[in-house]
Amino acid sequence: MADTEPAVETENTQETLKEEDEEDEVKDVEELSEDAEAFKEELAKIVVHPPTIDLTPKETFDPAEFPSSYKENLPNENLVLQFAENFRRQFVHLYRDRKPLLLNPVNECFVEKFVCTTIRPTQLEYKELYDWDGAAEFVADYLNFETLEPPFELPKRLLSPTTVLKRQKGNCFEYSTLLCSLLIGAGYDAYVVSGYATREVCLADESREICPLLKKKEEIKEEAKKKELKKYTVKPPKDLQSKFELKQAAKAKAEKDKEDAKHRTEEEQRQAELEKPPPDPLYGLRIHSWVIVLHGKREVPESFFVEPFTGLSHPVDSSNYQGIESVWNHVNFWVNMQDCSEGVQNLSYDLGDCTKWEYMFPNTDKPLLQIPEAEEDIMDGLDDEEENAEEQEKQLDLPPTWVEPIKISKKDFEMRCPQGKKNKLYKRAKLEKFAHYLMKDGLVSRLSVYSDRELTDMVMTREYFEHREDKLYNRVHNHQTTWITEYFAPGRAKCVKEHQYKASTPGPESERTMLFYAEARVDGLMKRMETPSEMTEHFENRDDFLYFKHTEFGKKPKKFGPQDKSSGQEPRPILKMQMKYHRNKNKKANDDIAELVYLCSEDKIQITYHTEDKRIASSTREFLKPHNWDEKGATLTFSGDMQQTFQVDPNLPSNKQVEMYEMLLSLLEQEGTCMEGVRESEEEVREILEDRIREEAAEELDISVYDTERNEKAKKHRKDLERQQLEEKMRKQEMEIDYLAPFLAQIGDPEKITRQQAYKLKEDCLMDLKQRLIDKANLIQARFEKETQKLQKKQAWYQQNQVNMLKDDEEAYLEYCSQAMFRIHILELRLNRHKDQAPHKYMMLEQTLRQDPRLAEYF
Amino acid sequence: MSRLYDTVEPSVIDEDMLQKAVEEQGPKDEAGKIAKSEGIDFADVTSLRLEFKNILEIDNMWSFENLTKLQLDNNIIEKIKGLDELVNLVWLDLSFNNIEMIEGLDKLTKLQDLTLYNNRISRIENMDKLTDLHVLSLGNNNLTDLENVIHLRRFRKLRTLNLAGNPFCEQAEYKQYVTAYVSSIDFLDYRLIDEQSRAAATERYHLSIEEMLHNERVADQKYEEEKKREVEEALYREGYVDGLDGPELFEGMYADDNEGKKMKEMPGVDDLMVTFREKFVGICKQIFDYGLQENSKRQEEVSQFWECVMEAKTENKDAGIGHINNFMNMKKRVFAEMNHITDSALLDQKVKEYNKEVTELWDKLMALELQLVDQFEEIIKEFERNLQDMGSTFIENVQGYLSQCRDLENNHHERMLEIAIVTLEKVVKNELDDEINDDLRNLFVDKDTIINAVTSSHDVHLLKIDNKEDDMVTRINGWMKNTIEKIHYEQEVKRNRERVAEINNLIDHLREEIENLEVLQGTGY
Repeated sequence: MADTEPAVETENTQETLKEEDEEDEVKDVEELSEDAEAFKEELAKIVVHPPTIDLTPKETFDPAEFPSSYKENLPNENLVLQFAENFRRQFVHLYRDRKPLLLNPVNECFVEKFVCTTIRPTQLEYKELYDWDGAAEFVADYLNFETLEPPFELPKRLLSPTTVLKRQKGNCFEYSTLLCSLLIGAGYDAYVVSGYATREVCLADESREICPLLKKKEEIKEEAKKKELKKYTVKPPKDLQSKFELKQAAKAKAEKDKEDAKHRTEEEQRQAELEKPPPDPLYGLRIHSWVIVLHGKREVPESFFVEPFTGLSHPVDSSNYQGIESVWNHVNFWVNMQDCSEGVQNLSYDLGDCTKWEYMFPNTDKPLLQIPEAEEDIMDGLDDEEENAEEQEKQLDLPPTWVEPIKISKKDFEMRCPQGKKNKLYKRAKLEKFAHYLMKDGLVSRLSVYSDRELTDMVMTREYFEHREDKLYNRVHNHQTTWITEYFAPGRAKCVKEHQYKASTPGPESERTMLFYAEARVDGLMKRMETPSEMTEHFENRDDFLYFKHTEFGKKPKKFGPQDKSSGQEPRPILKMQMKYHRNKNKKANDDIAELVYLCSEDKIQITYHTEDKRIASSTREFLKPHNWDEKGATLTFSGDMQQTFQVDPNLPSNKQVEMYEMLLSLLEQEGTCMEGVRESEEEVREILEDRIREEAAEELDISVYDTERNEKAKKHRKDLERQQLEEKMRKQEMEIDYLAPFLAQIGDPEKITRQQAYKLKEDCLMDLKQRLIDKANLIQARFEKETQKLQKKQAWYQQNQVNMLKDDEEAYLEYCSQAMFRIHILELRLNRHKDQAPHKYMMLEQTLRQDPRLAEYF
Repeated sequence: MSRLYDTVEPSVIDEDMLQKAVEEQGPKDEAGKIAKSEGIDFADVTSLRLEFKNILEIDNMWSFENLTKLQLDNNIIEKIKGLDELVNLVWLDLSFNNIEMIEGLDKLTKLQDLTLYNNRISRIENMDKLTDLHVLSLGNNNLTDLENVIHLRRFRKLRTLNLAGNPFCEQAEYKQYVTAYVSSIDFLDYRLIDEQSRAAATERYHLSIEEMLHNERVADQKYEEEKKREVEEALYREGYVDGLDGPELFEGMYADDNEGKKMKEMPGVDDLMVTFREKFVGICKQIFDYGLQENSKRQEEVSQFWECVMEAKTENKDAGIGHINNFMNMKKRVFAEMNHITDSALLDQKVKEYNKEVTELWDKLMALELQLVDQFEEIIKEFERNLQDMGSTFIENVQGYLSQCRDLENNHHERMLEIAIVTLEKVVKNELDDEINDDLRNLFVDKDTIINAVTSSHDVHLLKIDNKEDDMVTRINGWMKNTIEKIHYEQEVKRNRERVAEINNLIDHLREEIENLEVLQGTGY
């Protein structure tokens, strides 16, 4: 049974009130004494004004807007209404203490409609609406909600989904009906639920919920690969640590952890206590409607609720929902017969089980649970009536829905929210949504996170963008660290993927991190980190196996004298460059450089080679640069003490001096290119930053060529085409109309027409028409005569040869005769019609000529 | 074309000429100076030019082991020789010489570019080993036989071919013929072969090429099969069951058994032989299957062992590298600090500290090494035990199977004896139905002879089986011994020695470094 005790109480009080009223009436009938009269008068002074309860909702609709199905009921609709009424009466009779059901609310035209027929399963053309989450999000975004007034009573009116879409407003029942229509249309097994929920749910108050965008995705814990114990796995070295000490340490740690955890839970509890909503006087009475999606269809593994106000799913044992009275879809209506005193936790949603769900129509597609015989006997005695009703039901077919097809135009769909904007408040967060292309900079949503519940201390802003020309799709501004992170989609000129910088220092040579789409870059750059004195670059998949490059800069040399502008462009001096390489399998490990360090400030070059597979140490080599290394064209001298080598393998022959010398030369050359590389990187950073500044200023949005509404160029093109077509048409029309043109041409298209000319023009024009009409009549006559002559000739020929004629020929002759007669007849008709119409045409032309702007002034 | 011998003195490549050429073509300027003072090893030279030297004979080239490019053009060489040591040669230029025959190139398997332009060659031959050839120039030679070009088909990688200026180029069909038959080339006689002419050529020689292709394919297939068979054979040998897949052992028994062969003719032996053979071959097959199975088990065991060894090694190596890296970081820091210290007492202290750290590093690395040695010792012992167990079970089982063979043979022998005696009686009584041949009849002179014959046949058979058994047992024992020894030597002895040497070398180097640093500093104050 539903949680109905408070309802019973209110009913009782009403009844007692009624009784008192009756008593008063009884007194009225009695004969009245004077005193009584006076008393009556006195009493009459006491006037109570019963609060006028406006039973009809405030907003009214013009019935003319709606088709007839909205304004009247078909016979079988009436039948169903009666049936529902009957069901309601029996239900009230049997379960006096239960709340009424929402069965036949009125629609926008104040016509009673059965709730099941208000659902119109529809599948719309937008692929976002094919899945339940998309559809629910759309409904939540598209509509603004209205609360039920009062919150503990069922609404009197249920608008159709089409009207709801038009108004972009609705109460929870209208939300659910619309959402259910979409979900059933998309193939889900969805039902509208009528029940009870908490205040937060009914008022769509999410300020105690964590924003779904902030919920961390459950990290897939990589199970630490357990070291497989193979047959010959070596035994680990003996552990010489004291077991006892370890145990003590572990114990101490466990204690500390416990204490910490305790503190933490206490803290959490305190916090939760603080955040608890104030107690609700109407707790458990608030009526709400939502949607349940049962498992089975569309590969839904488990049933769940969908909250229409927020578009989020909740498990069927959610504590936000406190009870269910009834559920319905477009074919049937079920009343919950299960106990809801503990909320919805233990409800079964096997709608075929009629001990738990009382159905309205037996024509359900749910499998009916067979009730054991004994139970049926008991039931038999109790509700004979119901059985009779059931028999009736069998003939009853649910009428088709009265609702017009649900339609959402592409423009409306893209606007998402009323006016394209919607704000939502969450726990310590605010979410603003915008329609695509609404904001100039392409912003579609902004999530602001605060550290307190009053939303005053901002911690972080996340902005999501769409359709931006510069491919920016997300910007995170952390107000505490002042770091800004921008995320870019692939396709930018420099393949930037992510850019992190401090809001205070957006310029070059400051702290920043850039991530790149390495696979799209020629140099395989993956990441570049910068600080004022350092630059670190990471690479991927390079042919020269370089994967890491680190540069240290010194302070800019201070210039004395007047500061000129170019000093800002002076590059920072490079102190040290460090390069790391992956192993190149084509070289011997001992010849393959693993790390190369140019100590520019010390004129040294250090090389570390890769470690051979069987060794643990690696060879190193150090060069001192010759003193004149940076002179151009100078011959570099070389001596043995300019390089030091450590070979891991003492047995290897030492390299020759020539090789060393050549190596030094190539290293010096490499140093040059390496420095150039650093400068290029700096330049690139500068370019990217300039690009960014320009892009931010431009705020251009990328519009698809297929988007004819927004693509200005395409739109213009289309408009042009349309205009051209129109012009063409106009010109044609004009050409047709202009009777005077040939005559004007005869007199040489004068700018101005004199009176004489005008008269002459008119005369000529009319004459011409007259002539043409006569000509036409003559033509018809000529043809008529020709045809008649031909027929007469044929007749004469027939009469001559009639005797020796074959039957076939005779038939051909008769055929010809009838055809000729037909033609003659038609010609005659045409002539008559022409004779009839010609004067009219003449008159019409005269009329038009009189009204012609060029001649009008003279007539 | 040919230069006269008497105008310039013909020469042979000798030490002086090479030395001079190397110095000329070696590094220049400063590097050249350094190189000269140091001397150049011929083995380091990778490319050498010896042109216009009037060389008649190639010689003294053996020390140029790493030569990849050799130019001997414009000489008067008559015979290709002395190039056998230059196995790394990729590019060889012998143009404008007096060579008459292609030869002496068999060792140059890496050769990609060969130029024999302007010589006196009259036949394409002796180039079977040059499978990597990309570019071949045989222009201005004496080639007359167009069909000889088919020889070039075997160079699958050949892209550029030059045959211009040969007598056969006069023939009308020359170009199409070469294009059609040497189908891999893209360039012929300095020109790119366009699709049309290639199509036309292929069309023209369509039939004969098809046939040739077919033959080549068949040959390829045969080669593949041969290879596959070899692999299989190797596998069987590894399982010590080669020749047990079929009736090989059985036939082997009768191969050296003359009496046995003769006695097959005895009446009633045929049926006996058939069943005997069947059973025998069945057992052989069982041994075969068992052997392969055991072999894969052994392989599995060995690979498991190595896997674990590798794991332990990497783990140990990582630990070692970690220690060294830590030390290196420390070293950098200490050296940087020392650069700023002027107080000698403090410096001494630092040096001492450093040396202590070095010793500590040595301790750590050596401890790691010792630990690894211990670990290996243990698992090698276990592996040895397991391997021996496996070997002995294998031997036991094989012996069991072979004793079944012996039983069969014994049975067979008894039956043979019976038949022989019965036949002897018949022969004696002259009751024999069919005529028997003389060889066999000779055995049936008396009872002793026939019994001797049967017994000797039996002995031969048993001997064969024994031999097989001995062979298998020795081989598996040999393998086991080898494996274990190899492991002992490689893992325990060699690896250990190398590692210890490496550690000591590193430590010495580190000690030296601080000393050098001190010396440097010493000059400072």
